[in-house]
Amino acid sequence: MGWLLLRALDVGIAGRRLLRGVDLSLRTGERVAVVGASGCGKTTLLRTVAGLIDPLAGECRLGDASPVEVGWPEWRRRVSFAAQRPVMLPGSVRDNLERPFHYGSARRRFPEPRALDWAGALDLDQAIWHQDAQTLSEGQMQRVALLRSLCVGPEVLLLDEPTSALDPGAGRAVEELVTREAVAALIVTHDVAQVSRWCHRQLDLADFMEPVDG
Amino acid sequence: MGESAIALGYFDLVLATALVLLAGVASLVLRLNLEGQLAVGASRTVIQLLLVGVLLKWVFDLAHPLPVIAVMLVMIAVAAVASVRRSSRSFAGAYLGAFLTLLLAGILTTFAVTGFIIRVDPWYRPQYVIPLFGMILGNALTGISLCLDSFLETLSERRDRIETELALGATRWEAARDPLSDAVRRGMIPIINAMMVVGIVSLPGMMTGQILQGADPLEAVKYQIVVMFMVAAGTAAGCILMAMWIYRRLFNDRHQLCTEGIRRH
Repeated sequence: MGWLLLRALDVGIAGRRLLRGVDLSLRTGERVAVVGASGCGKTTLLRTVAGLIDPLAGECRLGDASPVEVGWPEWRRRVSFAAQRPVMLPGSVRDNLERPFHYGSARRRFPEPRALDWAGALDLDQAIWHQDAQTLSEGQMQRVALLRSLCVGPEVLLLDEPTSALDPGAGRAVEELVTREAVAALIVTHDVAQVSRWCHRQLDLADFMEPVDG
Repeated sequence: MGESAIALGYFDLVLATALVLLAGVASLVLRLNLEGQLAVGASRTVIQLLLVGVLLKWVFDLAHPLPVIAVMLVMIAVAAVASVRRSSRSFAGAYLGAFLTLLLAGILTTFAVTGFIIRVDPWYRPQYVIPLFGMILGNALTGISLCLDSFLETLSERRDRIETELALGATRWEAARDPLSDAVRRGMIPIINAMMVVGIVSLPGMMTGQILQGADPLEAVKYQIVVMFMVAAGTAAGCILMAMWIYRRLFNDRHQLCTEGIRRH
């Protein structure tokens, strides 16, 4: 459990190959920074690992299981992707947090006490829970999106620039919460200081190969 | 039936042409720039209806199922092309989907009505089958077109939202259900609106035709009720089938949304 394996993964969009032969193993609680120039395929790699698009070759596994064996909706609950530009679903913040628990793939109830605890850690006032999610600031949306992913109970978080819209203090709160919860994370970031402060190692996509210790 | 209709001669049609000419003159005087389109429209009306009249007379005289089926297939093909072209977006497989949808919805609804309600004998009697089928196709075409337009627009414009739901563990059906329902609803609005105002704002063409032919208005009303329900059922079946076709083509079995094939006309 908790092992994300990428084996000889070729990644691309609409048949155009962006990355070739990406190998990675990610243990429980381990955080790996995904770095590389703009447009090199960082987001596409995360979307591929989340199963939102198909790899051109290679495979992703969680422990011994492939997405086909796990079932795609279940895979996405266990390997949760939070986009750089967070998308709020219709309704309040609370509706957004509870939404994944209305799907057939939900195995448990909305963990309200933990969600409240996490919201506090992210400096999200409970007063916004009943606010229309579309009216949040981008920084609030980014934290609500992370909170929504955490509530699902993933084994791996795929975070695409999770602190890009946050001030340094709020960014640190995100880092501390993910660290505290010991969830494995693949994190796209351009912040060199954040890589050295928060991540155990990095995957440099310029090489298309196994990452070097950072 | 009461008294029979007053037969029209070709000279009467020439007189009717004067009405369109009047509209053309008004366009010239007021510089509306519509006289060209009016002339083309009027000419097409005459040519298309005369051709259809000749074709229908030929099919009626043959009294054989094969020509009836052939005419129906041509009608479906034309309606399928028109329904996709009216939509602002399309995708690979849209024409086939529209054809199969209209085939299934049109044939099932038409023969349910002619077989079980009107009890036409023989089953292919073209005087009943072709006009009823045409009415269903005409309305289903509009419904399918609106449904296609709405569904593809949502999938293109709100892709992020749908993928967010998929990323949170939704199945493709759970992620597609809202836009699919909206699209079917959008396709059904015209026929529901028509049912709301029928007989109040205007008399439907078929009922008007029967009354002009001397039918008892109450008899014409009975037919019209059957026709309205038939058209509503055909449009509903068409919209639902088309929406399901789009859903199956654009959401794969890996629960991914594949919008790459969607293109604007």
